[in-house]
Amino acid sequence: MHQQAQLRLKKDEVEKLGAEAYVVLAMDLYRTRVFKEENLLLSRGEGRFSKEKSLVYATALSDPAGNASALYGVSRKCLRWGSWVENQPCWFVIDRKGTLTYASEPTFSTPTSYEKDVDLMLEALKKAAR
Amino acid sequence: MKRITVGLRALLLVSAGLFLLPSTVWAQPPPSPLEKYRRLEFPPKAENFSKGWKDRVALEFEIINSADLKSLRSALKDEDPFVRAMAAHALGILGDKASADALAELVKADPEQMVRMRAVGALGFLKMKAEVIELAQKDRDAGVCWEAKLAAGQLKSDTDHAALVRRGYAGGIKREAMGTAKVGQPAPDFTAHTTDGTPFKLSTVLGKKPIALYFAAFDG
Repeated sequence: MHQQAQLRLKKDEVEKLGAEAYVVLAMDLYRTRVFKEENLLLSRGEGRFSKEKSLVYATALSDPAGNASALYGVSRKCLRWGSWVENQPCWFVIDRKGTLTYASEPTFSTPTSYEKDVDLMLEALKKAAR
Repeated sequence: MKRITVGLRALLLVSAGLFLLPSTVWAQPPPSPLEKYRRLEFPPKAENFSKGWKDRVALEFEIINSADLKSLRSALKDEDPFVRAMAAHALGILGDKASADALAELVKADPEQMVRMRAVGALGFLKMKAEVIELAQKDRDAGVCWEAKLAAGQLKSDTDHAALVRRGYAGGIKREAMGTAKVGQPAPDFTAHTTDGTPFKLSTVLGKKPIALYFAAFDG
C-alpha cells in the first residue's frame, strides 16, 4: 500500500509517458476490491494519506490462485511478519515491444525506501517508453 | 511332519525374501497431497520465505483441485498447524458448508494465529457463522482481526468469491512455467480479473504501451 501511495503521487508522470500501471494481488476479487477502494492501512495514523479514501490509482487485478504471481516468480504462500503473505512485492517494467526491462523487489529498509523504489521504477519506465 | 517342516521353511524363506526386496517393489499408495504438504522440505515459515515456494504453490493447487473433503475435514484436527491452516483454507475455497462448525471451533480456540486466520477467512468464503466472524474481529492477534474484518465484508457480498477462486485453481499450474519472467525476455502472458469482475489478459495490452506492473502483498 505504501508503494501504491507513492505511485499515486507520480500519477501525472506515468500518464505523461503514455504508460499503464497495474497492481496484481494473489487474492480473491473481494479482497482486491478492498485493496483498491479502501485505504485501510495509511488512514490509521497521522500522515499525508490519512484522510484519503483510496490510495491505489493503478488498475487492480485479482489473481486468486496466484497463477500470474507464480509465473513472475513472486508467489510465496508463506507466513511472514505475523501474517500470511501470498506475494513477495515486486516491480516489473515492460517496454513498448512487450519485453521485460526491469524487475525490482522493494527493500522496505528505510522510511524513504518507498519513494526511492518508485523513482527507480519510473526511471525504468521512461526508458521503456522511448 | 517332515512335509510341514519343509513347508514352514519355504514360507520363512519367501517372507524373508519379501522383506529384503527394495521398498519400491512394495505397492505403497503415493502420499496424499496433504501428506506431501506436511513433509515439505521448506514449510511456509518466515525463514523459508524465499525457499521452496514452487513446491508450496504446486501442492496448494494439488490439494484444492483434488477436493478430498473427507481428508481435509479430518486435517482440521491435525497436530501440525500448517496442515490445519491449509485444510481450513482449502475447505473455504471448496465451499464445504459441512465443515463450518469445525472451522468456527478453530477460529474460537486454536492456539495458532495462522490457523485462526485461515479458518475465519474460510468462514467468509462460506458466508457462514456471522457471530463467530464478529467475535474474531476482537481476536488478540491483529492479523486475525484483519482477516475477520474482510470475512465480515464477504458475508454481505452477493458474489460467490469461493467459486471464482476455484475457477482460478481449476486450470492447474505448470511447474516449469513458474518463475519464467526474466528481464530481457518477452513478458509472460497471464489472465486475471479487474475489480468489476472483467477478465483481463496481459497480452491484450502488451506491445502497445509501456507497462508498470506491481505484484503486491496485501499491505502493498
